[in-house]
Amino acid sequence: MSSVLDVVLSSAFLAAVLRIATPYLLAAFGGLVAERAGISNIALDGQMLSAACTGALVAGYSGSVALGALSGVATATLLGLLLAALRLELGADAIIAGIGLNLLASGGTAYAVYTLLDDKGGTTGLKSGSLPTVTLPGIEHIPVVGAVLSGQNMITWLAFLAAPFVAWLFFRTRFGFHLRAVGEMPDAAASVGIAVRRVQYTGLALSGALAGLAGVFLSMGYVSFFVRDMTAGRGFIALAAVFLGGLRPWGVFLAALGFGAAEALAVQLGTLDVPPQLVSTIPYVMTLAALALYAWRRKRRGRAVPAAASL
Amino acid sequence: MTTTPMTAIETEDRRQYRATRRRDFAVDLSMALATILAALAIGFLVMLATGNDPIRAYEAMLTGPLDRSFRVGRWLEDATTLTLLGLSVAIPFRARQISLGAESQVYAGALAAATVAIFLPLPPVFAVIVPMAAAAAAGAGMGLVPGSMKARLGANEIVATLMLNAIVVRVYDYLVNGPLKESGSSAVHSKNIQPDSALTPLTDWFGVPLGRANIGLGVMLLTAVALWLLLTRTPLGYRIRMTGANPDFAAYGGIRVPRVIEWSFVIGGAVAGLAGAHLVQGVYGRLEPGLAGSLAFEGIVVALLARNNPLVVVVAGLFYSYLRAGGDIMEQQTDVGTEIVVVIQAVIVLLVTAQALPNLLKRRIARKQVGIR
Repeated sequence: MSSVLDVVLSSAFLAAVLRIATPYLLAAFGGLVAERAGISNIALDGQMLSAACTGALVAGYSGSVALGALSGVATATLLGLLLAALRLELGADAIIAGIGLNLLASGGTAYAVYTLLDDKGGTTGLKSGSLPTVTLPGIEHIPVVGAVLSGQNMITWLAFLAAPFVAWLFFRTRFGFHLRAVGEMPDAAASVGIAVRRVQYTGLALSGALAGLAGVFLSMGYVSFFVRDMTAGRGFIALAAVFLGGLRPWGVFLAALGFGAAEALAVQLGTLDVPPQLVSTIPYVMTLAALALYAWRRKRRGRAVPAAASL
Repeated sequence: MTTTPMTAIETEDRRQYRATRRRDFAVDLSMALATILAALAIGFLVMLATGNDPIRAYEAMLTGPLDRSFRVGRWLEDATTLTLLGLSVAIPFRARQISLGAESQVYAGALAAATVAIFLPLPPVFAVIVPMAAAAAAGAGMGLVPGSMKARLGANEIVATLMLNAIVVRVYDYLVNGPLKESGSSAVHSKNIQPDSALTPLTDWFGVPLGRANIGLGVMLLTAVALWLLLTRTPLGYRIRMTGANPDFAAYGGIRVPRVIEWSFVIGGAVAGLAGAHLVQGVYGRLEPGLAGSLAFEGIVVALLARNNPLVVVVAGLFYSYLRAGGDIMEQQTDVGTEIVVVIQAVIVLLVTAQALPNLLKRRIARKQVGIR
């Protein structure tokens, strides 16, 4: 047991937590923004995947990492807008349309990679590079904190800045106020003159962009290539973090960070003769228990179930 | 049974109702065909744009699966699992429950079927049925968890089923790599099931090589008919449909909605469990890592395409598996990636979900009818 504690308290482990939590954080905030705008974005996974693929391919062919990252985020943003359009213009069910978009991303990225590179697995044959790391000057001299924070990818920094940003956006800006109003009761929002559709389109675009950053991190930060279906369901886990976090920015932050920590722990314990598959179920079991507990408490208090959670 | 003769008005009402039903069915069918054609057309354009020869590709894709008898078998075997999984989500979908839990249920079913079929000696016939029953029970149990969380507590079923998927897939992976792994084998898989537990291959019946296709196909067809009867001819089916159409109205009408929701999850779970039994007893003969692949999610697509009508799910499942089988053959023969099939599938989903289109058409037809009179 002491060896487990040693591992968990080491700065290398904490650094790994930040790294592993990055895509969860960004995608979960993407999911949060969409959920609060009243359209569930179950296509987070597909948006991440498309961004990861586009990023690696564009960076590889153009030689510019920045251009790759931008086009990755742009692709995911477009997918967010497409989801909004399907929902708002064609009356599609957001969940089903989201499943369709996930399929499209999974098939489309694999087809594109195979057509361009004649490789079934991914873009390992293409040199695309990764986004730069950020080290604040002088930070490496601070014990523990320095070792944890220095050398983290710039997107990891963005992921942790996303929490205060989303909290600020929701509760300190006019747009955030409108977004929450639209998500809670679109008719009421419309009756006081809020442009419901425009707010929802903007929200879904932002949601896609955040998921896109998460995807770009996977293929241009975590590793420097795209692998087929490399999101491995992270978008769905992020969606769970949105609900586990109670649809609140800091709650979602903690939930996503928790998922990251549990995954990092599972990786570490794999070296200690504990079955890694079983350890990695812990966050999901906890989420399931928390989901039941929240629902039970809400039911006991007799509060109305929010529209988004009841579906 | 005595029937009172219908009045002229009743007869007329009935005639009109039937005409409406027929018209709606015709619109649904033509929309489904139009959707498929539109998706194939988009696939055509994508292949053209990426420098492939779409005509050769489609020729291989659309004629390939019928080329040789073992390819037909490959198609039917795939369609059996896929259709069962489509049926498994169609039931909760009818109660308007977005259950994404087919993955957890199919793996639980596979584990249960394999455990019984490997370790429990049983007389013939029972050796086939008991593992299948165990699989259905395990799947139903997996359905009950999110089902009662939703019905009794109001917990979001999408999140619950996704979490359960994540848990069961990992536990399955652990068991196949650990306690259930065949000792002394370098490859990761369980021991083979007892020969008596295997679902009879169709090859034995038809005398032509049909690959791994087996009498699970018959089980699938029976299940589809049973579920159709359940939905259209039984009180529970009526309650499921009412709950899906309008839960508040159903509750007002005296239907215990939570219990109906629970049942829809349990029934769906049992059917997904059967799909797991088919994979173990019919297809692989043992547990293999990730044996259901992406079939659980594609089952959702099949159910959607069929608008959750069990009999149409069979047609959609056969069609879908045909595309999947054709995609593999296309890739071997023409170098076009089989992934284009997934793209075509995705386009179908997106078109199907665009509810506004068919409703617009139906409303226009209805308006025309009114205008004529």
